[in-house]
This record gives sequence, C-alpha cells and structure tokens, in this order.
Amino acid sequence: MNRLTIFLSCMSIAGCSGVFDYHPYDVRFDGEKDINSHNISRIEEDCRDKESLTVAFISDSHGWYGDTEDMIADINSHPDVDFVVHGGDLTDCGTTKEYIWQRDRLARLKVPYVALIGNHDFLGTGNETYSVMYGKMDFSFIAGRIKFVCLNTNATEYDYLAAVPNLDYMEEQHTADSALFDRSVVCMHARPYCEQFNNNVAKAFQLYIRTFPGLLFCVNGHDHCLQIEEIYDDGIIYYGVPSANRRSYLLFNITKDGYTYEVIHF
Amino acid sequence: MKSFIFSMPILIMSVSTAMATSVPSVEYNVTETTESVSGVTMTTDTITDKNNENNETTVNSSTDNSALTNYERRVYRYRRLWNFLIPTQTVIQYAGNMGVVSVGMGWDYGNHRQYETNLLFGYLPRFNSSRAKMTMTFKQNFVPWRLPAGSKFNVEPLTCGIYFNTVFGHEFWGREPKRYPDKYYEFLSTKVRINVFAGQRFTAIVPHNRRKFMKSLTIFYEISTCDIYLRAMLQDNKISLWDIVGLSIGLKLQTM
Repeated sequence: MNRLTIFLSCMSIAGCSGVFDYHPYDVRFDGEKDINSHNISRIEEDCRDKESLTVAFISDSHGWYGDTEDMIADINSHPDVDFVVHGGDLTDCGTTKEYIWQRDRLARLKVPYVALIGNHDFLGTGNETYSVMYGKMDFSFIAGRIKFVCLNTNATEYDYLAAVPNLDYMEEQHTADSALFDRSVVCMHARPYCEQFNNNVAKAFQLYIRTFPGLLFCVNGHDHCLQIEEIYDDGIIYYGVPSANRRSYLLFNITKDGYTYEVIHF
Repeated sequence: MKSFIFSMPILIMSVSTAMATSVPSVEYNVTETTESVSGVTMTTDTITDKNNENNETTVNSSTDNSALTNYERRVYRYRRLWNFLIPTQTVIQYAGNMGVVSVGMGWDYGNHRQYETNLLFGYLPRFNSSRAKMTMTFKQNFVPWRLPAGSKFNVEPLTCGIYFNTVFGHEFWGREPKRYPDKYYEFLSTKVRINVFAGQRFTAIVPHNRRKFMKSLTIFYEISTCDIYLRAMLQDNKISLWDIVGLSIGLKLQTM
C-alpha cells in the first residue's frame, strides 16, 4: 500500500507537467496568453517613429510544423523585418495541443508577431483557445503611422449568424486614433467571394475597405497559394499569402512613397 | 451517441447468444454446463440462486433435469441471456483524452476473461473554456496474458485496445454540418475521437473468506493517443510519438 501511495504521488507530480491528456478540446494550457496584445504593444513601441516598415506576412501553417520552423528561421535571418502577421489557420482541427505546438514554434521569431484566426482554428473549442491564447478576433494596431486592421472573416463557421465581417468594427476603425495614422492595411483570413466569406455583404465589405484612410492593400490567407488580384477592379489589390507547405511567404517593404513586396522562397 | 447506448445491449446479447448456442448440452445437464463454461460460471451461479429464491423454477444442482419442462428451460435460457448484461466490473480512470476522471462499468468475457468492454462517463472541467463538459467512452480491452504472482496477486504484462470517446456540447459535431461545402473538413468529426492504448495492470485478489464488495482490485496504467494526434504525427516528422501520447491511470473493481 505504501508503494501505491508513492506511485500515486509521483503521478500527481507528473500530472502538473502535462503527462496526462484530458481531452483534445480541453482548452487547458500554461504559458503565454493574450499574445496579440503583448506583441502589439511591442510593435507599436518599436515602430512608432519608423518611416519605412518591413513586414512579413505568413499564413496557413496548420499541420506543417517542419515548414513553419524553416520559415521562422528564414524570417529570423532577415535583419530588416519589423514584425510578422500570421494570416490564420494555425491548427488543423482546433485542438489545444495543436495551438501549443504552433505557439511554441512561433515563439522562436525574433520579432513580434500577431496571428489572425482562420476557419480551421474554430473547430471544436478552437475559437475559445484562440481567444485566450491570442485575444480578440478583430483587432488593429498602428506601426509607423500605418494602421493594420485585422478582421475575422470566417462567416461560414458561424453559419452566417454572427456579424462577421464586423462592419461596425470596420467603421469604428476608420476614425479611431485618426491622429496617429495616415495610411492603412487590412488583413483577413478568407477574402471576399471565397466559400468561407459572407458573400451577401461582399460589396458592402469592400465599400468599408475603400473608406479606410490611405488604404495601401489587403492581405489574406486561406487559399494556400500566392494570389495578387484586384478582386473588385477598383485599384485595391488583395495579396493572398501562400501556406507554409508551399515554402514561401510575402515580405512587404512600406516606405513613405509607397510599398514594394517580394515573394520569399525558403 | 444514443446509438452507442442502444447498441450496447444488442452487442452483449449477440455475444451471449453465441455462447449459449455453443453449449448444446445445456438443456440436459445444467450442473455440468455450469462447470465447463468457465467464462459464464458466475453468471450461471447467479441464476441458480435467483431461481431458488423466487421458487419459480427448480433449476439447481438436482441431478434429475428431465423434470424440467420446455417452458422452464426457456425461462432458464432467457434469464441467462439477460444476466449477461449485469456488469462485472466498476472502472475509474484518470486522464486518457476522456476527461479528467471517468467512471463506469465493464463486462468481461471470453474463455479466459481476456476481453473487456467498458462504458465510461467522464468529466472535463472548463479550464480556459466557457464551460465544463461531459464525455462518454466505449472502450474495448484485450488482455492476452494473466500471470499469477503468488496466490494473492496477478500481473497482466500487456493490455491493449481501442476506445471511442464522444464529448457532449453544441461546440462539437459528429458529421460535418450542412453549412459547409461537401468534404470541407475531410475525415473529421470534432465530437468522436478514436483512441488507441497499451498498458499494464497489477491485480490484488481478495481471498474467498474476506470478500465483501469485490473479488479483486486492479490498478492499471495506459499510454494512449487519438486519431487527430496520430494524423499530425504522420503528416509531419517534427511531431514525435512523445508529443502525442499521454498517460492515464485507473482502478478496476471486479465485482463478480
């Protein structure tokens, strides 16, 4: 019986270090929470007075951990990168373990990053894990007088019942902190007219996109391939970021005269 | 998941029917049958006791079974089939992708009691999510060897099997809801997980004269993983077996 007691107490100690799995969707994790808001304050601090920004856009790293590691190593080897935007789909099935696996890899980035929510990240309790680990699903930040607006556009996941994309939030962001920015970039996971977008409001969405002060371009993920397209023939280009297994990402350099981009293959 | 509950008795019934038909001598010599079919010995004993209490039929150790009418034999078989549904074990398990703690009942069968079926209900606290959840597990064990360690103990060097776990809640779906295009999340159900496990067990046998609530008490541990994690490991070599397996421990009370 004494041995049993020792065995059980060993087990309870081991339990604290995560040897026991309670459920794939248990939303149980230690370590960093609210990552986006921590990193946003770093980004805003670091880039406040910058005249030119270098931003890496990555997306859809779900399931491809080796490729993600290589991508992170490649981004770390670029000395100019100011921060990274992940376009969503961190996980395949939204399980807590997958979120942790991705978070532990993205933590190796030398520069701060923010991550949007992708449709896969909603599965099971994935949306709850995202909210605790990363924060709000619609968020924005200002770096070098450019506002980056990150929107949740995964309407199918809500069966179109929620205000997704949230036009009220977009309208709010047109004017919020207007003294601090002159130009804007809009990031989303699923772009208009794909099966995940609420296409009933696709045109209204674009109307709100166009009203952003000094809009430079839009960035999306989801489609797993490189896309450079003017969806509405109105001069606004949507850049689709390839998935991690395509072993490429987009590097944007934004100066006061405009922007250039580069497709980086690693 | 209701289908699980309903399929359970049917499964047990079919197994027991198979066993009943495999003993053709049952109608003529009940006592001998009781001894020869080791797998159902206890079950048959119980029937005899019940019959004596109720005074309905006289199926006992009496050697003259020719006195039984067809009706009595039918009643006897009927009782024996339904008796198979009485759980023989109570199981409590900690962790194993089925909640923090799961409690349930089990049945053992087979010539050496080498097969076990467990039905467990688990509790998953809320942790960082919005609410706690219940889970249900249908577990199939296989115990190929049972080695005696003295007269009071025995060791099962390998247990292995498969279990289906379902979690209750509106967040989860068994089949892709209609809002998605066809095969949008292919091969995925967020509700049902298929788990595999391997483990070991150690049993303390309660001596005959000191039995009150149970025949034996078994402590076990298992290493398990589930289909989603296995797929993640097979898809990417940066995910190792160590990343996807989890430990679980538990107790099994053999009640009969």
